[in-house]
Amino acid sequence: MSLHYGDPQIAIAAVFAALAFLLAGVFLVIGVQAGSEVAFERVHRVGYWLRKRWLVLLLVVGVLAVGISLFDLPYASGNAAGRTVVKVTAGQFFWSLVPGQVPAGTQVRFDVTSVDVNHGFGLYDPRGHLIGSVQAMPGYHNDLDLNLTEPGVYRIRCLEYCGLNHSTMDGSFTVVGR
Amino acid sequence: MEAATAAPASPVIHPRAAAFTVEARGIERRIGLLFAGTGIALVALLGVFGLLMRLTQATVLGLSPAWFYRLMTLHGAGMITGTLLAMMGALWYVLHASVPLRTGRMLASYALVVTGALCVLVATLFGGFGAGWTFLPPLPFYPAGQWPVWSESLFFVGLLLVGSGFFVYCIDVLEQTTATYGGLVRTLGWQFLRGREDEAPPPQAIAATVVAIDGLLAMASGTAIVVGLLGRTYDAGVGINALVAKNLVFFFGHSIANLVLYLAAAAIYVLIPRYAGRPYQTTKVFVAGWAASLVFIATAYSHHLYMDFVQPTWAEIGSEIASYAAVIPVAVITIYSMAMLVWGSRYRWTLASTLLYVGLAGWAIGGTGAVIDSIIPINFRFHNTVWVVAHFHTYLMMTVVLWVLAFLAHLLERDSGITSSRAARAWTIGLLLVGGYGLTGTWFVGGALGIPRRYAIQPAGTSGYSLVGSIFALLFALGFLACLAQLAPLARAAWKRRRHVLVEHMDSWTGTRYTRPAPRAEADPSPAANPTPPRRGVPLTGPAQLGLGLAICIVALAAFFPQVVDASEASTRYHHLDHAGHFLLGIMAGLLLGSTPAISRRLGERPTLGLAAVLAAPVLMMLVMVPRFYEPLERHPFEHALYHLAMASCGLVAGLGATRLGLVAGRFAAFLAVGMALMFAAAMTGA
Repeated sequence: MSLHYGDPQIAIAAVFAALAFLLAGVFLVIGVQAGSEVAFERVHRVGYWLRKRWLVLLLVVGVLAVGISLFDLPYASGNAAGRTVVKVTAGQFFWSLVPGQVPAGTQVRFDVTSVDVNHGFGLYDPRGHLIGSVQAMPGYHNDLDLNLTEPGVYRIRCLEYCGLNHSTMDGSFTVVGR
Repeated sequence: MEAATAAPASPVIHPRAAAFTVEARGIERRIGLLFAGTGIALVALLGVFGLLMRLTQATVLGLSPAWFYRLMTLHGAGMITGTLLAMMGALWYVLHASVPLRTGRMLASYALVVTGALCVLVATLFGGFGAGWTFLPPLPFYPAGQWPVWSESLFFVGLLLVGSGFFVYCIDVLEQTTATYGGLVRTLGWQFLRGREDEAPPPQAIAATVVAIDGLLAMASGTAIVVGLLGRTYDAGVGINALVAKNLVFFFGHSIANLVLYLAAAAIYVLIPRYAGRPYQTTKVFVAGWAASLVFIATAYSHHLYMDFVQPTWAEIGSEIASYAAVIPVAVITIYSMAMLVWGSRYRWTLASTLLYVGLAGWAIGGTGAVIDSIIPINFRFHNTVWVVAHFHTYLMMTVVLWVLAFLAHLLERDSGITSSRAARAWTIGLLLVGGYGLTGTWFVGGALGIPRRYAIQPAGTSGYSLVGSIFALLFALGFLACLAQLAPLARAAWKRRRHVLVEHMDSWTGTRYTRPAPRAEADPSPAANPTPPRRGVPLTGPAQLGLGLAICIVALAAFFPQVVDASEASTRYHHLDHAGHFLLGIMAGLLLGSTPAISRRLGERPTLGLAAVLAAPVLMMLVMVPRFYEPLERHPFEHALYHLAMASCGLVAGLGATRLGLVAGRFAAFLAVGMALMFAAAMTGA
């Protein structure tokens, strides 16, 4: 299964690209202006006026970004009632999922742990989109809640460096159409 | 305290800058060259290894996964060490004029860091160690047949040495800045912020102090976990709490990588004004910003644990806030202020100044990529993809590496009085920009595609990204070489002109500018010109503080009560916590004794011995907590009691040593020693 760009990823990359080009443009303009002579008093006056607005803008963006993010935290809450628990065990260099398949539309709780070192449970949907990840840690169980609606074979790749065969440590999980 | 003489107008710096630029002393130039030269050599070597890795991912080369991960481990550890070393030199170079940092300490720091780097090099290339430079426990102990025990141990010893070198540096900076400016509160400019003083220390001194404090915190965390892992190397009975260990590793690793940038920031506060011809001075906003950085540098690290869902949710959200908040001082103060200095300044474009300016953009762009990734729901889809590789390479390659080159170029330009041709600079900067952003661009795109990081073998159909990335990496390497090629003639000219400088003059009749050699106005090398500050003090001053110390000692005595000792046998962690109590008792007793005027006078100054004690005693204390070492000592209750006394003795040595480091650094060193004992107790469990 090959990888494909997911919609959220494309949107985020586009926002980043726009900001990066904007910043590059700003630095280009400042660089060009650096050759001219402007009284430092004027640079101070205008610069500090602008800096206050820049600070306010960053604060507003920060409050909005953090605030909105709180509505979409991936952390599982409450008990697993109503969910199908899939026990995920990682080890050098394998994934074990029990059960290995669920019907489409199932609310799944992946109960993820490791028998040896840290691994990363990266779940790719049947179209090759990375839909989320959680760490597999020795001595701990991380719960990841997902609603899997799309039938097909989901691929698991290791998203935490775990040794020699890290890049070939993959597994699969099937969502069966109803 | 600007003791050095003002520099004559140099043709390479801005004419207005002569008014506020001090002439560099010989020792500053030599230290700067040593650190920058070694740093660049490491960056060049490890850059080649990075290219080999990218070519392997592109399937152009056929490195085995075992070799890929050896190189990956070395590349990460070595790049951080190389850039750290260069930026330590840069900060020393710009700070020494106003703060009398000790040359001996700096050379000791160099020896420790370089020896540590050599240990890491041998452990990876010859020992095969390949657990990554973040060595997430317990991975080092699951080698999959790839590395022997000695290479693990050597890697950890190497890290300890590098960390000790940085520790020595940070202690010296903290000791000397606080002694120069009269205590921590004044040094950080907080008295100025509150309007109680009209003047604040210069920007580089405030920034250096913040870096030193956060650096020491990070080193304490790193030392606690690395000593624990070293113990585990020799005793499989030592268990590790994976979550606590991960917190400690990232507190150390993230902070140290981040601090390279902040070290560099402190240096550019001095370097960019020299090309813009405008001084950069401390303002209240600057002080407030660095106070915020002091907190957020130390707390942002845990965004590395977003996907460890067992980490308390409040900690994850706190980390998200801290990660964003850490950006604000950088964006509003450092980058913005430097851009303000440059705007309309008739900026002197030289090789160094161009690299300095271009590096600002790298921090802004790479930082944006990092901030995006620090939003938890976004991180859920980008965690440990190559997006992470993209953003940290943007500010490490396109900022830190460029500033390392800029620092060396600045040293050579100042000494030679010349810079490279405009065409050569344009080609070089062009190659660096296209190559650098092209390479990181392929990672950004790959991250959006979900390509995992640290894959020796890329997922099917994605090696093309690595191929394109390799081509860009080659362009960057060409730019790097072109830069070095331009530095070579500057170095030759600097060597020829080491006894004089070129001074720019203007013909008053014709208005034309010309240069003429003048004898180098070497800054006054006498101790009187840059005296060791007199106020050092001891950690506990006055009856109230001595009384408090005594009270803590009495409370800590509880760690020896048989009931407490018996109860602590319930788990390894509690037992280690009890040992931390013994250690605390020793430290407080050492602080009390060493702070008592009569004993303090008898002990004498002995700052080097004090530093050695605060470095070695906590490490020894943690090492003897390894069961294989202490079990033979616990066969009899009397031996067991003696063993606990040994813990307290280690603390006593550390406490006495701390009193030789002055009031601020001494208190801080004692606090860190106790902190290390507690972190060790939290991370190490039974088998």
